[in-house]
Amino acid sequence: MTVGISDGIVQGFAVALDPVNLLYVFAGVLIGTVIGVLPGLGPTATIALLLPLTYTIEPATAVILLAGIYYGSMYGGTITSVLLRLPGEAASVVTTFDGYQMARQGRAGPALGIAAVGSFVGGILSVLGLMLLAPPLADLAVSFGPPEYVALTALGILLVTYLGSGTPLKSLSMAALGLLLATMGQDPITGTTRFTFGSVALFDGLDFVAVAMGLFGVGEILHSLERTDKVQAVTQRIRHIWPTREDFRNSSGAIARGSVLGFVIGVLPGGGGVISSLASYALEKRRAKDPSRFGRGAIEGVAGPETANNASSTSAFIPLLTLGIPANVVLALIFGALLVQGVTPGPQLITEEPEIFWGVIASMVVGNVMLLVLNIPLVGVFVQLLRVRAGVLAAFALVVTMAGVFSVNNDSFDMWVVLVFGVIGWLMKKTGFEPGPLVLAFVLGEIMERAFRQSMLLSGGSLDIFVTRPLSGGLLAVMAAVVVLSLVLARRRRAAFRHVDAEGEAGLDTAPAPGRDTRRTSDTDVPTAPGER
Amino acid sequence: MSASSSAPASERPARPGARSQLRRLAPLLLLALGVGALLMGRDMGLGELTAPGPGLWPAIVAALLTATSVALLFLDPAEDYEPWTAGTARIVAGLAGLALFIVLFQTIGFVVPAFLLLFAWLRLLGGESWRMALVLAAAGAIVLHLVFVVALGVPFPAGPVDQLLGA
Repeated sequence: MTVGISDGIVQGFAVALDPVNLLYVFAGVLIGTVIGVLPGLGPTATIALLLPLTYTIEPATAVILLAGIYYGSMYGGTITSVLLRLPGEAASVVTTFDGYQMARQGRAGPALGIAAVGSFVGGILSVLGLMLLAPPLADLAVSFGPPEYVALTALGILLVTYLGSGTPLKSLSMAALGLLLATMGQDPITGTTRFTFGSVALFDGLDFVAVAMGLFGVGEILHSLERTDKVQAVTQRIRHIWPTREDFRNSSGAIARGSVLGFVIGVLPGGGGVISSLASYALEKRRAKDPSRFGRGAIEGVAGPETANNASSTSAFIPLLTLGIPANVVLALIFGALLVQGVTPGPQLITEEPEIFWGVIASMVVGNVMLLVLNIPLVGVFVQLLRVRAGVLAAFALVVTMAGVFSVNNDSFDMWVVLVFGVIGWLMKKTGFEPGPLVLAFVLGEIMERAFRQSMLLSGGSLDIFVTRPLSGGLLAVMAAVVVLSLVLARRRRAAFRHVDAEGEAGLDTAPAPGRDTRRTSDTDVPTAPGER
Repeated sequence: MSASSSAPASERPARPGARSQLRRLAPLLLLALGVGALLMGRDMGLGELTAPGPGLWPAIVAALLTATSVALLFLDPAEDYEPWTAGTARIVAGLAGLALFIVLFQTIGFVVPAFLLLFAWLRLLGGESWRMALVLAAAGAIVLHLVFVVALGVPFPAGPVDQLLGA
């Protein structure tokens, strides 16, 4: 096993250090940082918009690029959180509490510096954990048959609806809609056309890229049209970015704890960045000798959560690469990108496509080094990006979306699909429905249906097969446990949120936020606790 | 949500009765979808569990959609809904522009519609100056044409300006 891992690591670095891939890692982390800073476009929207581009490149390179955007945006979001109290993505909301206070005390530099260092440490440790944990997990999963896949996909959808942002019931309803939309087109087994309404263009079903680009890209742009606020320019110069020895001493514990916490939370489907950074903040505050420092510029309050969110965005790849279950929406998009390339992520990925598995992991190490190098000296440059006006960005993003979606199949029908799903995505935002579960279910729908029908053939029509086989029965037991656990945790989390909200509000009185506090995009929605109504 | 765009809606609270009824539209729409899909799934042929027909799985997920939307009719938290604002008109305008773009794209290619969409969006929705909008739109349309058609080789429908740009 250890031999396999070390061989894999060598192979991974061979892939990641290939000049083309190196270029794409760089492009990914740079784009990620930029969109983390830019107003209006989150990582989900950006990855959706760039999906057509990934068709033309190798699968490994595509995932390397998209992964780079994902964790790069975690760095970028920190910059605006600290300087302007505008979290670029949801996981950075917590960073505004102490980071913005540090900036007001003239310590913006060290706040950004420690965040970059913490993110680096968290990212690297998480990659190490990924290397050790993923292969044995995949070995276990290789024995999965169709019933296990039904249970596994159901578990994935359920976890994302329960643990994601938004009301679970609404998310579940969106997941059902996604599963239904996935059935459009020809039946994979009998060839009967379903829900095509006589349209030839629908024979192959809806294109995943068009749906994702519409819901996340166009939907978000339309939603942002309703807001006409201006972002304030940053005039203060940022100095002393490299933290002092004392800063390091104060935050080393927070970084270590944040790494472990972020890794563990990221592995759980639905975990993602927000929960890990909130959990780390709560932990640091509880451990502190003088908790009242928090919210007034405590460096641990920046270091811990930033470390945790980067660690979790790395470990979130574990369920995708080993079980084929995307842990959150961003990973669902990456999953979709791989499916389109003809690669089905799952237990076989490590053995069948080792260059993807190990290459992506190694690229994360490279990418994190690049981010550290980019961020420390170039923060001042990134801040200038805030001058780009949201209207300009929206106009160009739209035209690129339209041209991009056409280029996938060279078919203008897909442009109409984007438009329709753009409207749906906007309406969903207005009415509090989450697009995430819909897209996730849409991606998993075909796999789930096929596995379900195969299971029925295997069992001779008995539903018992899902319960009596130890693995699928076990997974279903996990599902039941998750539902129960999430109800319990929801109560706790709701209490934690109230606590944290109260602090955010306290800060608000002393300094009115420029423009708005939180950009409400799918990436920045602070999840309301499940069951809250 | 800035103060300026949401002011009309937030200062004048909607009649609670009207609003609570209006927001039921979303679950009702989902319910209609679910029931419709359920009926269509039945028509496709459910088959047996031993030999599932093409309609069985769609019917199962449609049943889930129906069940959740019925539950939402009663359990939907009202605070999830954002108020409608004056900005909504801008969105309708933006959508109309986008639809027009697609229609034009199908008939006269990429460059001219892209220029028009960029220009209209930048000037009318983005609030840029005439000159800035003109320059950005012209430059944007040409650069994107070069990227997609010349560099990536995407076969956009042919249009009047293509010969000039060397497609």
